[in-house]
Amino acid sequence: MTNIAALAEREVKKVLQFNDAKIACKLMAMGMLPGSIIKVMRKAPMNGGFYLKVNGHGIALRVNEAASVIVE
Amino acid sequence: MNNNSKHFKIALLGNPNSGKSSVFNLLTGLRQKVGNFPGVTVDKKIGHAQLKEGISASIIDFPGTYSLYPTSKDETIVINTFANPQSENYPDVVIYVADITKLEPHLLLLTQIHDLGLPTVLALNMIDLAAKERLTYDIEKLSKLLQIPVIPISGRSGENIEQLKHIAADLCLQNSEPPKIFYRFSKKEEQLASDLQTDFNIDNPFRALIYAHHYDKMPFLSGLQKRQIESLCKQHEFESFSLQIRETMQRYDKFTPIVRQVLQKPIDDSEKDTLTDQLDLVFTHRIFGPLIFFLFMFLVFQAIFAWSEFPMMLIETAFGFAGQTLQNILPEGWITDLLTEGILAGLGGILIFIPQIAILFFLISILEEVGYMARAVFIFDRLMQKFGLNGRSIVALVSGGACAIPAIMSTRTISNWKERLITIMVTPLISCSARIPVYTVLVGFVVPSVTVWGIFNAQGLVFTGLYLLGIVAALVSAWVFKLILQTEESSFLMIELPKYRAPMIKNVLLIVKERVMTFTIEAGKVIMVISIILWVLASYGPSNKMELAEQNALEVAAQKNLDETATADLVAGKQIEASFAGHLGKFIEPAIEPLGFDWKIGIALITSFAAREVFVGTMATIYSIGSQEDEYTIRDRLAKATHPDTGLPVYTMATSLSLLIFYVFAMQCMSTLAVVKRETKSWKWAAIQFVYMTAMAYFGSLGVYQLLS
Repeated sequence: MTNIAALAEREVKKVLQFNDAKIACKLMAMGMLPGSIIKVMRKAPMNGGFYLKVNGHGIALRVNEAASVIVE
Repeated sequence: MNNNSKHFKIALLGNPNSGKSSVFNLLTGLRQKVGNFPGVTVDKKIGHAQLKEGISASIIDFPGTYSLYPTSKDETIVINTFANPQSENYPDVVIYVADITKLEPHLLLLTQIHDLGLPTVLALNMIDLAAKERLTYDIEKLSKLLQIPVIPISGRSGENIEQLKHIAADLCLQNSEPPKIFYRFSKKEEQLASDLQTDFNIDNPFRALIYAHHYDKMPFLSGLQKRQIESLCKQHEFESFSLQIRETMQRYDKFTPIVRQVLQKPIDDSEKDTLTDQLDLVFTHRIFGPLIFFLFMFLVFQAIFAWSEFPMMLIETAFGFAGQTLQNILPEGWITDLLTEGILAGLGGILIFIPQIAILFFLISILEEVGYMARAVFIFDRLMQKFGLNGRSIVALVSGGACAIPAIMSTRTISNWKERLITIMVTPLISCSARIPVYTVLVGFVVPSVTVWGIFNAQGLVFTGLYLLGIVAALVSAWVFKLILQTEESSFLMIELPKYRAPMIKNVLLIVKERVMTFTIEAGKVIMVISIILWVLASYGPSNKMELAEQNALEVAAQKNLDETATADLVAGKQIEASFAGHLGKFIEPAIEPLGFDWKIGIALITSFAAREVFVGTMATIYSIGSQEDEYTIRDRLAKATHPDTGLPVYTMATSLSLLIFYVFAMQCMSTLAVVKRETKSWKWAAIQFVYMTAMAYFGSLGVYQLLS
């Protein structure tokens, strides 16, 4: 078990749960739920954001947002 | 419209990137107007559509929204309209646009709207894309399972738009039973909803629940009502966030199986990189990404200068001709002067910027339509955060290169108030198109037009330097604001990076039209009023000083044997010196002397409050060359200007550079201040902006002049 912020580029994982209710609400509305398959497409330089594919659709997150999502 | 025809209100709703605006444009054609939602400054687009013979509708385009649990100002509009059946925008019918390739997440808001009891048709958009991705779907089954009409459409080709109109018309006429609620309430939610329904006379249990979640964001509730709801929520141990999650999960649990039943994707290509992925390997690359962004911006601004020259010249010529004609046909007098020098000059001062603004927004909205801007937001978010801004601020900062007014309005997508406010506060430091004429006149004094390092023009380099100075000043100021302003509110990136798609020119042109109209109206009314005030200040003086000045000038002209034009120019120059504006200029002279400015520059500083480019026209009048007002003649004349006491030239390198610095920093645009007041809902921030920018300008110029002179 780890979180998205700890993943490397091109890694594929399954979402398990969220640590932050507020972020979770928005992410779920955007289509990321427990059980969704995510793939890290890009990590922006200097501790920047994460570009993910969530069930095949692109979403960008900040590090703290990515860290709040627990994956397999 | 004939008397028998029936008129309805239809809301167009959908997630961001669902292709909603294409559908709106197809439904309404060019019959659109932009207004405001009550009490807020979010733009409301309304169009008119003939649905069927005898049935027409106003179509209201709502901002793209993910759910009824909003995070940005734009999204809050949706709950405030749909929670309140008394709202003037409350629709009879909802057309819900969903992207068929992203059906699952897009059904969340649909089922919420459905639970509010609103007759809804689901328009499944992007079937052209679905065909390309070889999706198969069963519309009839989806319609049956969701219990609402469903129609597959394409916002690109216009396929099935007529059928969509017919279905909407039928829904308007039907008086059907409110459908069964999709969401299963928990016991506590049920009790709370039923209490709220009785106490506040709410017709629908899910709407009551929305009150419980958002009462503090609902301006239509009184303070007392809000307190009542608050205590009811406490009584029922209502926890907004965890219940939002519960509700969202349950909705997904219910509609995910439905989507699985009706929509099949081909299995083979899930691992293959799409075209979007391949492009993003370059566009979001850690080195190439930012480089490509700056290359794009360079090309955009090159295009603005190259393409706007001709239309701007046309506008200038047309206004010159109109002014001349009016002066010739109308009798001499103050009304004619007001018309030509006040009103017509003001109008010209507004319209002259339209070519540059239109071209900038044309190119920016192409980048947005294609899906590129979301990538720029992603690339720069981290950097922007360091300065207290949001990745989304990049759009405003770039637009500020044309005009701060539409740029400031584009900040509404930033949900965090502090980040949005800082973006608004620093955007006017980005050099806008109104500064260009001023830079053009003055750069000539700072450096000669020579080539350096083989390829660069020295003046061009100074020009670039001024732009960079503006950008650096914006970032530094943002950083200072970040340290000063405190906030508890959390800030988000969480942005969708949609697939790259070819832009639809019709959508782009409509955006350009909308932005240009906003500029013309918002900036226009302020520039107009100020132009008239300035005309009064420049045309009238205390007691009979103006007449005396005119007589003096005429005598001098007669002695020197000047021709008619030169005489008229001399008279105009002497008159403005004797006018109220001239007195004001002399009044502030002691304050601006340490910056290297004399009273003539003082007058120009005062008059350029309407808009910065007025500087050029005022200088032309003061230096008695009003009739041949172009940047190069003015530059020649300024070069010859000398101090009356010392005989030394006024426009030394030090004075010119000091003046340039002043124009880079100074908040000399009343229209922008008016828009800042409107967007932040208080004069406080407009005043702070004015003071800090003016202070930067004053001390910047002071430093430069004292160092160089």
